[in-house]
Amino acid sequence: MLRLLKVRGHSLYPDYKQGDYVLAASSPFPSGKISADDVIVIQQPGYGLLIKRVQQVLGDGRSFDVRGTQIDSTDSRNFGPVQREHVMGKVIWHIR
Amino acid sequence: MSKKLIQKIEAWHPIDEVQAHCDIPCGIYDPHHAQIGALTVVRMVDLIADQVKEHGKGSTAEFINGMARFIAIKEEHAELVKHETRIIWGDFIKQPHLEEFPQLNGLVHKIMQLGSKARQTADRETALGLLDAVNEFAEIFWQIKGKETKRVKAPYAVTEEMVVPIL
Repeated sequence: MLRLLKVRGHSLYPDYKQGDYVLAASSPFPSGKISADDVIVIQQPGYGLLIKRVQQVLGDGRSFDVRGTQIDSTDSRNFGPVQREHVMGKVIWHIR
Repeated sequence: MSKKLIQKIEAWHPIDEVQAHCDIPCGIYDPHHAQIGALTVVRMVDLIADQVKEHGKGSTAEFINGMARFIAIKEEHAELVKHETRIIWGDFIKQPHLEEFPQLNGLVHKIMQLGSKARQTADRETALGLLDAVNEFAEIFWQIKGKETKRVKAPYAVTEEMVVPIL
């Protein structure tokens, strides 16, 4: 399933700017599993629908360390590893 | 598919937003304290002028006590303006905001300078200049937050204009 979303905020600046659009594909992902450097959309409890870049796939591939590009981005440094069930999609197209 | 085409589609069919948060989501920033500080400086300058008008160059205990209090509050609130502005500029404002509003750094510097001058003098023009600059800063802040603003007469003992968000 594909989902068109609009980026709000500057956590992934300058790669993704506020007002950009992304097309996110939910599992099963067209390009296989989630890997480091993929940009994913997550539904993080207490934080809402977020877009982050995968820094590292942890353990058995069921959780991910995600990061923004800014010093004060809200990411795994705040809420810890993201569990696989909270990943809503993987960005397959970035419309800037 | 181009961004312009999607923007046209979005005009009649809303597209969900995905958050690329900076700072903690519950981060609370508001230029209101800086605005109150600037209005207070104007009020203290007015009270100082009234005191001089009433007592001339008198040196009664009442005169000296009143003046000392007005000056102390003016000092405190001019510094409050500088402090609150610095917090928003340093913690909330990000590089993309500076690119979108290239006047921001100059405006913050102006607030710092006028804040200091407002402490050094009892000049009403300086106090009003500080308030103007803080209002401009508030307008930019709310624009960044995606909120429209309006200018209203302050509902206080000084009724100069202040910028408020339309929430």
